Amino acid sequence: MASALDISTSALVAQRTQLDLISANIANISTVVNEDGKYEPYQPRYAVLQTDNDVSTTSGASGVKVATVETDKREPNYRYEPDSPYAIKTGKWKDYVAYPNINMTTEMVDALQATRAYEANLGVMEISKSLGRETLRILV
Amino acid sequence: MISTMFDSSTIPMLQEVIGFAQARHEILAGNIANIDTPGYRTRDLNEEVFHDKLKKAIKARDQSRSGAISPGIAKVKDGDPMREVRDSLNSVLYHDDSNVSLEHQVTQISKNQFMHNLAISIMNSQFRLMEAAISERV
Repeated sequence: MASALDISTSALVAQRTQLDLISANIANISTVVNEDGKYEPYQPRYAVLQTDNDVSTTSGASGVKVATVETDKREPNYRYEPDSPYAIKTGKWKDYVAYPNINMTTEMVDALQATRAYEANLGVMEISKSLGRETLRILV
Repeated sequence: MISTMFDSSTIPMLQEVIGFAQARHEILAGNIANIDTPGYRTRDLNEEVFHDKLKKAIKARDQSRSGAISPGIAKVKDGDPMREVRDSLNSVLYHDDSNVSLEHQVTQISKNQFMHNLAISIMNSQFRLMEAAISERV
């Protein structure tokens, strides 16, 4: 059986995972080459959260977990760089280089939201703990 | 006489709970210390087995009326299920083959601390009762 603290912990882990992915997205805002050295503009990744019935209390409250990490399939940003070794050779985007289409503002707002959610869960944990402490005071 | 006074109360049981909480705290602290150790798997003492054993010990004491709970049930030999490092593969296994999740460990420590404080508080109030009886205060 899980307690309120376990539920808040599951949320902390989920929000931290989201924050990790946002950091990766911002860090790779100009990445055009993948880990194998092949030309492949970085696609942003986002976590999909899901209720987790493995972490649930007897009263029916359930925790949260990261269901999957989705790679976004959005169209890249094309920049005119004819001298780049990665410039597209043929077609509509000839002489252009595809860059990741990551919006800094969106990512920062998402990061802020994840941080606030993390803090909120810490606050709930603090309340859960003080409830326990207050109950103990009956003895004193 | 003194020993029957102590042993028939909940004090021996609380003593075991405190001992277990302290032992578990050391192990959980070890998990946090190894947060960046590659290949480290979290360790834990099995709370359920402890509570189960404690329950049985209390039952046995109440039935036999002999007084004492078998001394030191938290001090067990190697190979005993109480010693078993709990299989904690419920957390994410990272690329460096370790699985320490700071949040989970801190929560466990916090819950363990609460258990410890609870036992200490009950023990305290028991001693206060005894003190009141000894000093004949009302």
